Amino acid sequence: MSIPRSLSRITTVVAVVAVGAVLAMTGCAASTEAGSTENVSITFSSYNYGTAGAAGEGTQALLDRFAELHPEITVVPEAVPASDVLTKTKTAVAAGIAPDVVQLGYSKLAEAMETLPIQSIEDIAGDEWDDHVEGINQALVETGTSDDTVKALPYTVSIPTVFYNADLFRAAGLDPETPPDSIEEISEAAAAITATGAYGAYFGIVDTAKSDYVTQSVINSAGGAIVDADGEVTLDSPEAIAGLQAVQDLTTEGIQPAVSVDDAVAAFSSGTLGMLVMTTAVMGSIETAAEGNFELRTGAFPSFGDGEARPTHSGASLVILSDDEAKQKASWELVKFLTGKEGYTMVTELIGYLPLRADLATDPEYLEGYFEENTLLLPPLKQLETLAPYLSFPGPKANQATVLLQDNAVSPIVLRDADVKDTLTEVADRIRELVG
Amino acid sequence: MTSLLNPTRGVATGGSPRGGARAWPYLAPVVALLLVWVYGPALFTGVLSFLEWNLTGTPGGFVGFDNYARLFREPEFAQAAVQTLLYAAALLPFSTVIPMFLAIMLWQRPGRASTVYRSLLFLPVMVAPVAVAVAWRFLLNPLQGLANEAIGLVGLPPMNWLGNPASALIVIVLVTSAKVTAFNMLLYSAALSTLDRRTLEAARLERASAWETTRFVVIPQLHRTTVLLGLLSIVLAGQWVFTNVSVLTQGGPDGVTDNVYYRIYTLGFEFFETGMASAAAAIVLLFFGIASLGWVFVRRSRARG
Repeated sequence: MSIPRSLSRITTVVAVVAVGAVLAMTGCAASTEAGSTENVSITFSSYNYGTAGAAGEGTQALLDRFAELHPEITVVPEAVPASDVLTKTKTAVAAGIAPDVVQLGYSKLAEAMETLPIQSIEDIAGDEWDDHVEGINQALVETGTSDDTVKALPYTVSIPTVFYNADLFRAAGLDPETPPDSIEEISEAAAAITATGAYGAYFGIVDTAKSDYVTQSVINSAGGAIVDADGEVTLDSPEAIAGLQAVQDLTTEGIQPAVSVDDAVAAFSSGTLGMLVMTTAVMGSIETAAEGNFELRTGAFPSFGDGEARPTHSGASLVILSDDEAKQKASWELVKFLTGKEGYTMVTELIGYLPLRADLATDPEYLEGYFEENTLLLPPLKQLETLAPYLSFPGPKANQATVLLQDNAVSPIVLRDADVKDTLTEVADRIRELVG
Repeated sequence: MTSLLNPTRGVATGGSPRGGARAWPYLAPVVALLLVWVYGPALFTGVLSFLEWNLTGTPGGFVGFDNYARLFREPEFAQAAVQTLLYAAALLPFSTVIPMFLAIMLWQRPGRASTVYRSLLFLPVMVAPVAVAVAWRFLLNPLQGLANEAIGLVGLPPMNWLGNPASALIVIVLVTSAKVTAFNMLLYSAALSTLDRRTLEAARLERASAWETTRFVVIPQLHRTTVLLGLLSIVLAGQWVFTNVSVLTQGGPDGVTDNVYYRIYTLGFEFFETGMASAAAAIVLLFFGIASLGWVFVRRSRARG
């Protein structure tokens, strides 16, 4: 049965008109909605989203809860590996398909501020800003400030802590009630554990995502810094050399396996590694692995030498890239929820990141009950008060400089016995040349 | 082979000047596509190699040969170039000799078992490269991997397969070789099906042994396939290992598993040094261009000789 040609033409014309009308109405709707958050769809690039385990499930729960609270906003999540966040976002920006909200790691933030069209959250929030940021860790809010305005709010923040296997401690004749709190004590405990046939300790300093938060924590605690107050590279200072020398000594003494972080986490999760110094971000997955396998405990990041421990943080902030007013307002609603009391509570309870509003930990409405039952986060929570700021190399090549530090200095020093002073001096010179 | 590599022979020239003009309508679509997708981007890459650009902003302007100078100052690029040559040399037997002998062995024993073996050997080609790499990462885990369990059975100490500069490149080559060998075995099998049966029959009548037939009759007829696959291996070795390098080592430890293609990717899409990445790509193109010209020159000299 064939359709007459004239009828076919009419059908085509009607279809085209109908499609045009729908598109026109959609356009009208979009234009009338500008300035409000009614029926807006935004994209959210997250390295936690879609991952297996607590981080992925927790992020999904956060998005589900946000959808309940804001049915008028559709959040389209985009999964991206942690190590590729900056590169993927830059590529998306270059292609004109930038995500509206991005979970951006602190190690990439400095370069992102110089190379991505990050909007001022402070300006977008308007009158709501002061009330919202009150109570958030101010050091972290400061870290997200650029050009005298806040462009990044802390979201999933963690600091390195000492995870330890209490069963292996007992087997080695150590007291799990008094965890080591200095590099010397870690070395002694690791030696005792190694003597039982297990692996001793592992500093997660050669980070898979090329972040230098453990490197900075070690150097800070040894009294140094990767850059000074004027932005000059100081990672070849005597303090920095001493800090990395102490971590290298663990390897050369045979009490730290010279393997990648992933391999060390797998070993700790299976109960064959005594201590793992790593971000609290892995708390959820390690807790799951330890359940019924071994007794998991945590201790504070150790001191190096005479001074007190000064760990810095890892993790990520939230930034808004959208330049569309309606999407900016919707993005602010998402950021406001994720960094609000309920959002931070869920982030802590479900994923294991630290609560970034100090009052939540003692608030019976939020996390007081959680911390009474979950004591593992208490040591890092206490150190959050004396957190050292995360430092970045200056300029738009900060990320490249960090990768150079991790690949050309930290990795060969800690895993392959490279000379600490010579290596740090050489890499520091290259970074100075790179960042100008 | 000649007609495949030079499809215009006999059509474009035809021995008269007008032949070329007649061929153009046929060639135009392909030439247009090549201009858009190959020569245009190559030219654009060449232009970018003289600019300072981070991809997201506007190009920072003409910097002359600065990007080239920076590349040669960086020890990483020189090392990556050397490692690329090592990859090419290491993968050459896996893309020629080994698949050729596997194909010949299966060809000499036709039957159901041969078909099953061929299918099993071809399996690595069909599995997703990233999945294979991730599986190897678990197998090669230095603390808990099956590889160390296996060598432990014969009393060998555990190895840090991917973390030790002495073994990392070999591991990447071996992991990559499964796919290369499997695919090239299939190409050799196809070439074997076109052997001149008369030469085989003659060898049989001369009472040649199986080895003599293989050595003096079969292998010489596979010469063109071997040359082609050898050349492809040299040119593409660095690209074949890319996925495994990206998933398993990211060019480390100490740059021993790096190669120019992974370096270009790192410069371009991790550091957004678009100018330097383009300069590196231009150098690679120039190198293979000169090598190709050299190859053509040698072949012509031989033909004349």
